[in-house]
Amino acid sequence: MTSIDVRNLTKEYGTRRAVDDLTFTVRPGRVTGFLGPNGAGKSTTMRLVLGLDRPASGAATVGGRPYTALTEPLRHVGALLDADAAHGSRTARDHLRVLAASNRLPASRVDEVLEETGIAPVARRRVRTYSLGMRQRLGIAAALLGDPEVVMLDEPSNGLDPEGIIWIRGLLRRLAAEGRTVLVSSHLMNETASFADHLVVLGRGRLLADLPMREFIDARVQPRVRVRTSDATGLKAALAGHGHQAEQHEDGSWTVRHARVEDIGRALSGAGVPILELAASEATLEQAYLDLTATEAEFAAPHREV
Amino acid sequence: MSFTPVLRSEALKVLSLRSLCGTLLALFAVTTAFSALAGVSETSDPGFDPLFMALSGVAPGQIAAIAFGATVVSSEFHGNGIRLSLAAVPRRGRWFAAKLTVAAAATFGTGLLTASAALVAARAGLGSEAAGLTAGEQVRGVVGLAAYFTLMALLAAGLTALFRSGVATLSTLIPFVLVVSFVIGDVAGGATDFLPDKAGQVVIHQTHDGHLGPWTGLGVTALWAGAALLAGARRLRRGDA
Repeated sequence: MTSIDVRNLTKEYGTRRAVDDLTFTVRPGRVTGFLGPNGAGKSTTMRLVLGLDRPASGAATVGGRPYTALTEPLRHVGALLDADAAHGSRTARDHLRVLAASNRLPASRVDEVLEETGIAPVARRRVRTYSLGMRQRLGIAAALLGDPEVVMLDEPSNGLDPEGIIWIRGLLRRLAAEGRTVLVSSHLMNETASFADHLVVLGRGRLLADLPMREFIDARVQPRVRVRTSDATGLKAALAGHGHQAEQHEDGSWTVRHARVEDIGRALSGAGVPILELAASEATLEQAYLDLTATEAEFAAPHREV
Repeated sequence: MSFTPVLRSEALKVLSLRSLCGTLLALFAVTTAFSALAGVSETSDPGFDPLFMALSGVAPGQIAAIAFGATVVSSEFHGNGIRLSLAAVPRRGRWFAAKLTVAAAATFGTGLLTASAALVAARAGLGSEAAGLTAGEQVRGVVGLAAYFTLMALLAAGLTALFRSGVATLSTLIPFVLVVSFVIGDVAGGATDFLPDKAGQVVIHQTHDGHLGPWTGLGVTALWAGAALLAGARRLRRGDA
């Protein structure tokens, strides 16, 4: 079992607390989405886990050991922090060969990850000629180089084309299915919803949520039902009779808040209201996330849309 | 984690960067060319020193050595590449030591080759004027010049780690070396003898009359380089990457 354990981690830059008494665990076998607005401390936390930045207090361990105590760490932890980390004048292949040599990884792994990330055909070109998407793929190739049990990716879908986004989704799911520990930061909600099983949400360096994604959404977003009818008056009367309120949209459809589709369907058919469309509104991670951050004064948006 | 893989990785880094290999090539080319030119130029200087004349390519050559030492370290700061390097090798002291070992070996090797070529080229031009040079003096000049280049490269590497910037290092060291050598150096005595470039270049003179001999001079340069490396290593080990 190789988990990432963050315990009471605090990091200050000058007087600003980038990470504030953060405690959470990233477990293997699932994809953990790392969410939070820009500047919430996601990247800082990752750097602290890798021993790159020094914490003011607290500790981060991987598999129970500090990262800096790992011998040949690339065999245990693979990380993508920054797509620009590869020197522009090196070829992708040389960039990976350098990393492989430092951790005694066989040269064959270089070719394997180049194939896996789809940049093998351009591997002998200089990195400065790469698009952002290709550099992201190279960064991911570097993270996978040591076949690590723990994979940590900071905004991996940045700059990827639609094909690349589908690819990374599949890759993350596969890595988790293989029993690896996968932590992926993102600020894209729909993207995160498509691959994450579990969520860790930060705001101002503090932990706001650490729970399964489904639970997070269900706890935050009230169920809603969407209805279309040819008899608006009948609809309103029938709903009012069951203690529900409906609001009409410009396209003529109605939304019933705090309601389950089973109850509304039964109520309307009982009242003989003609139904043209009846659907449960799918609660999204975005709605749940906005609800959470809106309760934090720091991020309160001028208007709430949930 | 043992040292050898880190050393291999750092050597690969130098070999896979055209700018670094190019700088070493430039070190060879400018030093040899300047020495060859000096060999054929007319001289009537009473203080004529045939060994220094033959190795006068040191002036542009040391700029290349400084550039190499600075670039070896500054290439890590491109786009925060150092984070990836230190994630691969979290023992920062070991990582820096491996990098310096590679930089020193590359500079010393190139320096030996360069100094030998420069001496041969210059002697062809100097002819009888260089006849007074003993074999021992010539070996001392060649090894000494290679060691001098190496120490200047390490001085630059240390400063670059300290400033976290190659530009800052070059804009400090290069004017310093040029100004000290060509403006103050010839006029003032005493304290300027202990500046890293003046002290280190005693070894490539046939005769010396200051406080420092050939090897004590190099020792003084080594102290400068060592101080810069300690300061750079300290910043590297204490700070956030």
